[in-house]
Formats: sequence, C-alpha cells, structure tokens
Amino acid sequence: MSSKFYTPDGFNDTLPGVCAFKKDAESKLRRLFSLHGYEEIETPGFEYADIYTKPDFLKEEDLYKLTDSKGRLLCARYDGTIPAARYAATLAKDKLPLRLSYIENMYRFNQTGGGKQSEFTQAGAELMGITGSDSDAEVIAMAIRSALEIGVTDLQVSIGQTGLFEGAVSQTGLDEETALVIRDAITAKDSVTIERVSKEKGLTDDNRDMFLMFAQPTGDADILDQMKGFFTDPIAKEALQNLEEILEALEDYGYQKYVSIDPGLLGSVDYYTGVVFKGYTYEVGFPIIGGGRYDRTVGVFGREMECVGFSFGLSLAITALMRQGLELPDPAPESVVGYEKNNKDARRSAITLAEQMRLGGTSVILDTSSASEEELNKFADDNDIQTVFWFDGGEK
Amino acid sequence: MLTIALSKGRLAEKAIELLEKAGYDCTAAKEKSRKLILEDEKTGLRFIMAKPADVPTYVEYGAADLGVVGKDTLLEEERQLYEVIDLGFGKCRMCVAGPKELKDGKLDKIPNKRVGTKYPNITRAYFEGVKKESVEIIKLNGSVELAPLIGLSEVIVDIVESGRTLYENGLDVIETIADISARVVVNRVSMKMKSDEIRPMIDKLREQVEIMNAGKEEQ
Repeated sequence: MSSKFYTPDGFNDTLPGVCAFKKDAESKLRRLFSLHGYEEIETPGFEYADIYTKPDFLKEEDLYKLTDSKGRLLCARYDGTIPAARYAATLAKDKLPLRLSYIENMYRFNQTGGGKQSEFTQAGAELMGITGSDSDAEVIAMAIRSALEIGVTDLQVSIGQTGLFEGAVSQTGLDEETALVIRDAITAKDSVTIERVSKEKGLTDDNRDMFLMFAQPTGDADILDQMKGFFTDPIAKEALQNLEEILEALEDYGYQKYVSIDPGLLGSVDYYTGVVFKGYTYEVGFPIIGGGRYDRTVGVFGREMECVGFSFGLSLAITALMRQGLELPDPAPESVVGYEKNNKDARRSAITLAEQMRLGGTSVILDTSSASEEELNKFADDNDIQTVFWFDGGEK
Repeated sequence: MLTIALSKGRLAEKAIELLEKAGYDCTAAKEKSRKLILEDEKTGLRFIMAKPADVPTYVEYGAADLGVVGKDTLLEEERQLYEVIDLGFGKCRMCVAGPKELKDGKLDKIPNKRVGTKYPNITRAYFEGVKKESVEIIKLNGSVELAPLIGLSEVIVDIVESGRTLYENGLDVIETIADISARVVVNRVSMKMKSDEIRPMIDKLREQVEIMNAGKEEQ
C-alpha cells in the first residue's frame, strides 16, 4: 500500500505568505472584537454530537464524527454559534447581555471546491441576552467592519427578516405544505413555481404578487415601500419596522452603501427568528458573511436567551482577496548575521547584534551553518534578505 | 463581463437563439470551432461550452455567473443555485420505466427492486423519499433501456421525451417522477454582485419566454 504523505481531501496546509497574512488578519479581527467589548472564548475542538443534532440545526452527515473512550458520539467543532449557545446556557454568569467572540477552525463535510474546504477559519461574534434593532445593527456593522478590516472593500450585504414570510403565510392562510413549496421556490428565486402554485391554490392576485416580490432577483431600491403595500399581518409589520430601524442605525455607522434589503433571504427553517443577513464579494461563489437573530437556540440548552450574531469566513475571504489580486506580505526576514567559523569573539558579537536588532523590531536570522561571508551573501540573495552582517576577527 | 455556461448540444443552440431574440449579440457563441471558451469583448459576454451535468457545478462555484441547463441535471446535482426562468424548451419527463406488465401498481409488489439509471440521486430521492422503500441502484452511463431487457435490473429511471425507444423495446412508462425543461440558473453571489448586468438579462429573457409561450397557446 502506498503511504498517504499528502493532506486529506478538503484539508490544506497554509503556506508562509498566506499564513502571515492570515495571522495578521486574525490579530486585527481580535482587536476589533475586543474594541467593541466582545470577549473571546475558545470552545473545545470536539463536542458531543448531540449539541448539533438534537436541536435539528443541520444534517448529521455534515459532521466529522468520532467516539470517546466510552463509545459516546463526538463531533469536531462545526460552527462557533452552537458551542457559544451551550456555554451561555450552562456556564456563563447571570449578568446579561453577553458579548462573545471567537476565531476558530471549523470542520464540515463540505462539497469542496471554489474556495470551500472541510477545515476553515471563521471569526464571529454573538450578542446574547438582548433583543432590538440596535443590537441587530451593531452585529451587522461589526460583520461589515470585519470584512473591511482585512481589506475586502467590494462588499454587498443582503438583509432579510424571517417575520416577513411568516406574516405573509399567516395573512394568506396557506397550509403548511404549500407554504413549504413556496418557501423553497423563494429560496431558489423560482417565480415560475410561485405562479403555478398560486394558480393551483386560487390565491388572489395581490397575494401572488406578494410572494413574487419575495422572489425578486435582487431587491428593488423601493422594496421597503413595496412591502408596506402588501403586509397586513402584525408579525410582518413588526419585521418591516425592524428592517427600517436597522437600516437607519447602519446609516449612523456610515455603512448604508454596503447593505440592501432582500425579502427572499429566509435563512434555514426553524433556526433564525428575526433579522438574517449574508455578505458577498467578488471571485468566490459563496457568501463570506452569514448571521442573524436566533432567539430560540440557547433555550434548547436550558436557558431562554435572545441572541444575534454573525460569522465571517476568514479563509474564504482570503481566497477571494487573493483572486482579486492581493499582494501577500513577504515573510522573509529582513537581515542575516553570520560569523567566522570557530571564532568565539565573532560569535559573541554576532549574537549581541542580532539580539539588539530583534529588540528593535527587526527580524534577523543568525546563521548557524558556519557559512563563509561569500556563502552568506549568496544565501541572502537567494532568499530576498536585504541586509547581511558579517563578523570575523576585525569587525564589520 | 458575464460568463454564461451552456450545455453543449441542442440546448445550447436553443439558448443562443433565445438570447439573440432578447437582443444579445451571440456571434461569438455561434462560432463553429472546437474552442471551449467563446468570448466577445464588445458585448461583454463570455460563453463556456460544458457537459450538461457540469453546468450546475460551474455556476454554483461562481466560475460561471449563469447557465442554461435541464431540470433533470439540476435535480440530480442538487446545487445551491437560483433557478430563475423556466425556458419551456427541452421538455420531457423523468420516469420510472420497465416492462409493460409492471404497470397499474404491480411495480410495488416486487421486493428489493434493482433500478438502472444515469440519475442515482433522483432515483434515491424518489424511492426513499416519496415511495418510502429502499432499492438497489445500478449506475449506468447510457442506453439504460438495456438493463431491464437483459435482466440487469427490474426497472429504470430515465428521461422520456417521445417514449419511442421504450415502446420499440417492449418497455413503457410506469410512473412519472417530474416534468423536465430547460432552466436558467444563476450563481447566488453573482446575482448580488453583478445585478446591474444580470437583472436586465433575466427580465428580457422572461419577456421572450412569455412571447414564446403566448405563441404556442395561439397555435
């Protein structure tokens, strides 16, 4: 059998240039979260699979699973929100709201390609134990700032609200099955199916037009006004007001140019309970930002708590930036210091200089291969190192 | 620049015809050559000629912004896409077919059926999801009708247009799974990031489809 001396499907090494950029980006995001008062947590790499499968949040086959020594089913960290919710329900202090953040690797059986991987880094924040449009806006603003902070400037964020569709279904009195068909059609922006189902179920023209509005290819500029004409249900009206207030607050942040309303953004069934949003940029076919309000999730773990949060796909965003022409930082050190073979005085001087330079913030390689001055110059040339210091009997 | 993935063959020709009617210059796409990428800088359109089963993949990953592909391929591939227009051509049905004797409910009496098909995902979804039974799926790559004739499987799942191949081989449609036609699919990110180009194209194509459908009704 041949040895598998390569990485598994969906898993990659992060090589020096990219790694330098990524770690720097992580520092920036860490600082950004902390400046907003969000405390970073680390949750275990493995959890009991129950925390993901019991609440029915996702397909079991998407989890990387293994067992512990007692045969209990574990899974690798799939996202940051569910462990944060578990933590908030069980361990967190009583004082609310909680502001939590994380920067971690996630593991999913993804259909890989186009920038998707089975292991990838997400940075995210959760605002827990509080509701209201201002909280929603804070989290969306932080999501936008996260992308901007690492250099994603071509950014579009779509904002939707689960209450819009919920209200629309309730005011038309659709049965559950038809509602699901229309829901799927909206998610696929498939207006044909909506027209067909409306006809079959004898919906009024107004109701048909309302569901067609949800499936608009992209939200019209006057989409909020269009919606006002359609909704009579209190849930939908409340959702609409929530969206208006969020937009208003985002204007205060100066971020209105990045956002637009998309009523067809419904989020996965039974997870989101209010605002939902997704962020996009050029050159990757998948959203780099996802988030929304999830007021029912923490309750699954035994403590009712209203929450809103986002995750930012750092790995995917870096892929996008590189395809958009990002110049990676040069990870090569700035200087190299060498000394004459078997010359203890020269070595002492070399070490002293290297240490001084490092204190001053310059990266220095101390040559330990006993290279000659000539060899050292060649080494520096080959590796794009700018400065060479050489010590022999006399000083240089 | 918009990148459009077309399913090589008749579907591509029909799609080009429709795009031209909608006012898009497709001279580049009609070029008779073996080129796989046909680009026209003037019109800002780039066409890629792909195997039908690959069109949803190109579009999902954003390598192409939009694509024209049969609903059968979409059902089989289950990609995350926007499916914005039913073009109305390339019509056929996805069916369970087999010996005539299996019609009128007799199919359900066979336990542990073997099903030959080019569409294993559709077959699994139909038998497990709709009929609530597990079947043995035998993946084939063409001339699927052979399978029940020589005893490789009891039935097949395949697209049926006129049904002639089936009839001439003593087979018949037993159950219909879904109606099929050509669809326009759009990448979810492109829809947002390139909406200035994509939205008008969708509107114009829809207009043409409506004209086409109205014409059919008159006949």
